[in-house]
Amino acid sequence: MSKYALFLGCTTPTQVPQYEISARWICKYFGIEIIDIKDFICCGINQINLSIEAGLLMAATNLALAEDKKLDILTLCAACTGALSEAAEKLKDQETRDKINNKLQTIGLEYKGNVKVRHISRVLYEDLGIERIKKEAKKDLSKLRVAPHYGCHYLKPKSAFEGFEEPDNPRSLHQLISAIGARPVNYETLNLCCGGKVFPVSEDLVHSLVQKKLDNLKNKRIDAMVLQCQTCYLMYNDRQKEVNKKYGKQHNLPIILYPQLLGLALGADPVKNLGLNLHTVSMDKVLEKIT
Amino acid sequence: MNKIKKVATSKQTVFSTDFDHNFRSEVMRHPDASGLNACFSCGACTAGCPIHEVFPEYDPRKLAKMVRLGMRKQVLNSPYIWYCATCHNCEQRCPQNVKFFNVLNVLKNIAAKEGYAPSCWIKQTEQVAKTGIVFSTEEKWVKKREELALPSLKLDGKKAKKIIELSGADKIKAEDPK
Repeated sequence: MSKYALFLGCTTPTQVPQYEISARWICKYFGIEIIDIKDFICCGINQINLSIEAGLLMAATNLALAEDKKLDILTLCAACTGALSEAAEKLKDQETRDKINNKLQTIGLEYKGNVKVRHISRVLYEDLGIERIKKEAKKDLSKLRVAPHYGCHYLKPKSAFEGFEEPDNPRSLHQLISAIGARPVNYETLNLCCGGKVFPVSEDLVHSLVQKKLDNLKNKRIDAMVLQCQTCYLMYNDRQKEVNKKYGKQHNLPIILYPQLLGLALGADPVKNLGLNLHTVSMDKVLEKIT
Repeated sequence: MNKIKKVATSKQTVFSTDFDHNFRSEVMRHPDASGLNACFSCGACTAGCPIHEVFPEYDPRKLAKMVRLGMRKQVLNSPYIWYCATCHNCEQRCPQNVKFFNVLNVLKNIAAKEGYAPSCWIKQTEQVAKTGIVFSTEEKWVKKREELALPSLKLDGKKAKKIIELSGADKIKAEDPK
């Protein structure tokens, strides 16, 4: 079976541990071997703001650490996926790689250009496949209508993902949801950005974006939004309360990460294996519909 | 010869005598922004921009035009260049393969060197140089991880600190433009 270096990123292990717990449980269940590399650092995506080179050096550090262990990288965060994939793409160019390696050698590292970056959803989709997931699903999720949310950096820039998805019309998460019997609902703002990367600069911009998506989902009889990035999670879950207060709304939409939904279908313990008790919007209505 | 040419915009009048004609090449010298000349201002970037939708003043097409005209100061001290949500729609939709997201990063880098970076990004880079990640060690989450039987994090900022220094990003000091 597949073997990967687990890249946790900054936000999942510190702010959204339920994503990590459920991801680890899913990997164990399917025999996807994950190795923790303690020396991994931030993917560098935000450092690009001040210095493109700093961001690239940080991504290259992580790629080199994984390469040293002869492993590809498995990510949880969409933004880490995008940053590391984009860097890996840039570092395929010999000249760029030489320039970066020239600096990396001062911390005892070299990147030769051999690491693939894979988000956990893509690993499930490509390494296991929809049929295998279908076969394993034990519980009945057919009463659940959910809104998929992909995460911008899971899809873009397209050039960094070997044509894995069509960013304007993505399908893989829809299929992963259908595979376990739940119903993925299409909606107008499917591809609307959560705004997570601009949150440190302007909370107001994020509130406007989050409100727009939640308003769009309001009358669609949605049981939950299913996503695959902890930053998107924090925007739609934690910012949901702020939006309610700011704009006088009553949104109460459960937000769930795909490995958690998959775990429910596989019969995992909602608290022990999936950390659903850590959510601030109650998951009870979702759990009630699963038999 | 020196007669002032008026270039009308919706908000204010700008004058070509104020333009810095080297700005375009200064930006395009960076490989990430080298495709900017192909822009023919069709506005697909702006039409697909989620930030523009909620805050129309943020306008990728306008920023691209301002760079090409040489409005160096107005671009670099504009708070708008920091409002990108990094969704990549602009480059995804661009018929001319201009990677505006990358162009914007080049603009931010130049602006940062000149003291215009928002303090949040400077603080975050300082944090990464300490712990290797964008968060500090807080008892709240360290304890939570223990309770959940998750492996402890190493949080060693030495490598990150060194490469941040090598890139010069540690030298960036700024006041918040707001």
